[in-house]
Amino acid sequence: MDFGFSPEQEKFRQEIHEFLENDADAKGAKEEWAAGNGYGPHTWVIMKKLGARGWLTPAWPKEYGGLGLPAMYRALAMEEMDYFTGRGSRGVLCGIGMTGTVLLGHGSEEQKREYLLRISRGEIDFALGYTEPEAGSDLANLSIKAEDKGDYFLVNGQKMFNTACHYAQYHWLGARTQVVEPKYKGISLFIVDLKTPGITIIPIQALGFKTNQIFYDNVKVPKNCLVGELNRGFYYIMEALDHERTYTTSRLNGELEKLIQYAKTSGKSKDPIIRQKLAQLSTEMEIAKLFALRIPWMLDRGMRPTPEAAILKVFYAELQQRVINTAQQILSPYGQLKKDSKWAQLDGEFELEYTASLEGIITRGTCEVMRNIIALRKLGLPAR
Amino acid sequence: MDFSFNEEQEMLRKSARQFLEDECPKKFVRDMEEDEKGYSPELWKRMAELGWMGLLLPEEYGGLGGNFLDLTALLEEMGRALLPGPFLPTTVYSSLPILHYGTEEQKREFLPKIAEGKLIMTLAITEPSGRFDEAGIETKAIRSNNDYLITGTKLLVPDAHIADWFLCAAKEGEGITLFLIDAKTPGINCTLLKTLAADKQCEVILDNAKVPARNILGKSGAGWEIASKIEQWGAIAQCALISGCLQQVLEMTVDYTKERMQFGKLIGSFQAIQHQCADMAIDVDAVKFITYEAAWKLSQKLPATIEVSRAKAWTSDASRRVCLTGHRIHGGLGLTEDHDMQLYFRRAKAMELAFGDGDFHREIVAKELGL
Ligand SMILES: Cc1cc2nc3c(=O)[nH]c(=O)nc-3n(C[C@H](O)[C@H](O)[C@H](O)COP(=O)(O)OP(=O)(O)OC[C@H]3O[C@@H](n4cnc5c(N)ncnc54)[C@H](O)[C@@H]3O)c2cc1C
Repeated sequence: MDFGFSPEQEKFRQEIHEFLENDADAKGAKEEWAAGNGYGPHTWVIMKKLGARGWLTPAWPKEYGGLGLPAMYRALAMEEMDYFTGRGSRGVLCGIGMTGTVLLGHGSEEQKREYLLRISRGEIDFALGYTEPEAGSDLANLSIKAEDKGDYFLVNGQKMFNTACHYAQYHWLGARTQVVEPKYKGISLFIVDLKTPGITIIPIQALGFKTNQIFYDNVKVPKNCLVGELNRGFYYIMEALDHERTYTTSRLNGELEKLIQYAKTSGKSKDPIIRQKLAQLSTEMEIAKLFALRIPWMLDRGMRPTPEAAILKVFYAELQQRVINTAQQILSPYGQLKKDSKWAQLDGEFELEYTASLEGIITRGTCEVMRNIIALRKLGLPAR
Repeated sequence: MDFSFNEEQEMLRKSARQFLEDECPKKFVRDMEEDEKGYSPELWKRMAELGWMGLLLPEEYGGLGGNFLDLTALLEEMGRALLPGPFLPTTVYSSLPILHYGTEEQKREFLPKIAEGKLIMTLAITEPSGRFDEAGIETKAIRSNNDYLITGTKLLVPDAHIADWFLCAAKEGEGITLFLIDAKTPGINCTLLKTLAADKQCEVILDNAKVPARNILGKSGAGWEIASKIEQWGAIAQCALISGCLQQVLEMTVDYTKERMQFGKLIGSFQAIQHQCADMAIDVDAVKFITYEAAWKLSQKLPATIEVSRAKAWTSDASRRVCLTGHRIHGGLGLTEDHDMQLYFRRAKAMELAFGDGDFHREIVAKELGL
């Protein structure tokens, strides 16, 4: 057992930390993400700078733009990147953390050459194309259709809440290629260039986030855009979701630290109830950190962390709610004041987070669905 | 980062589990609740032969030279088996303070005997105040020539009725001093208390008990520093016991959901039950990691005040949650005396209270955070 990091790991983290602290584009990127828009001009620049150093994909093989390091290094890099992406590195993870990692395992050599280097250099990113109006938690129910037309697939249908579509170059599309029971056995995964004719993207403003609806109208997708085997897409999506649920805790921890500092300076820390609450949150934060680090530790041992990622997702998302609600209680009437308002405390951060954090309990699989996974996959309870 | 026990620790765990399954079945646990001594001298001897009493002691005192993580692996198994008896009082609460703060003479006198299983000791700190701090100690030590006369009441002293020696905290002037006291000293009176867990906790009344000055542990007046350290060790030891206990409750409960049918279905297929089981599993994983992290810090001799208190705060509360859910899911059957669930439920409360509950440790965490 060892709950520390090696000197090389500390050094790696420190280098990224210092780089981001001192980089003007990192500051600009932070503002872009805080506004809920995802990538803006500064983010593209900072991603390229990080990519040039191999820091976006440290755990990938060198030939695909990685540094050939263990997954634990990726976790450290992600923790530092929380500095600008916030809220658990959500969007910035797509290419480097989810789609690229799945391609590494299941993509064709041609696809790896086509996408991995560009992902690792920070040149491209992906939008996750899973949810549909009739397929949320029940993803296997998705109905967007991809017909094999010999030379290409013809795609028709609609997706909902596909967050990165307004800035990503590619769509990571789950589509139906066969009508079968069980339904999940007829789903395939595609990489689609979002500029392909027939694609329409319509923005949706969700609390704290810009996301999108996307429509496919007779979109021709080349054959070589199929990822892995036909009709095995659901498995690849599940694997990508394990990665998506791999939160880092540094950003949320930073918020808690600000709150603790506020309690001290405002004198609220004398209140025994507030002392208890903050001590409890700090304990839970430590647990969340350990749950988060368990994932790369397992990956480095060749283990697939499905229920463990579900545990992390539930624990993190629900802890986030407790942190924000405690913040609201401590800030008391000031908690409702927005960032730019007169009298706003802590830069209005917890007013924003009060709504923006709701995403945490819903996306990447709801907390209820996570509990299903833990019960069925970790504890082996009967499905029916 | 490494979340796994090493090979030796896994071997220790495996052999301990096997040994305790054979030697400490639930019938034995129930018998010991009724038994006046509350432990089996034969079993105690066999545990000593396995080296358990000396696990944390250096080889020169007859020990195995293990660390807190080794101990954690062993204690998890003891918690799982609900092993009754004076293991922690003798080892973690007594032999460790002697090892760290005793004179060479004291170490040579006590430690080899403890390692051999020939000496049972316990810790007498708590008083009627029920507090875990220095201000809670009213027992007085008054110097007379080369001796001290100690007078006061100690409460909830584990296994005092069978202990050969006590490690006892008393107020000397403004400070606290720790004394090693022979249980046979005239003026000591021990009464078994009746407890929820039917574990053996006692009232110990000292009435001018005469203790030679050379039996002071550490420095006169500086005993609270040692007592705080013991509380830290004791708290993390309790966390490890709770961890083992809860792992067993989870397994037992999940197994039950896979065999109990209602409405023509296994109850494990009901989502209300599944989600409760998932929450238990999250709690248990959290208990394990937060405990292991603190035990690792102690094994590395790093400062661990906040880690230990985080661990005891979390495990104390989690133990209530997990055991209560275990009861919920076992239905009426779990409430019967023949069922093991109620044994875990009652024991868990004693472990929660030992060395401070969640509220107590959260206040320590708050102080450590600078609040
Ligand atoms: C801001 C935001 C960004 C998003 N980004 C993306 C994205 O980039 N790409 C993408 O594909 N999707 C995205 N989503 C969609 C998101 O993944 C889904 O909203 C989520 O999976 C839940 O699906 P749903 O909204 O259809 O809710 P539903 O599935 O309808 O769930 C409604 C309620 O029923 C419960 N429920 C459903 N099934 C079960 C069950 N089996 N057991 C117990 N309870 C159940 C749920 O827990 C929930 O409480 C985003 C959503 C939001 C809000």
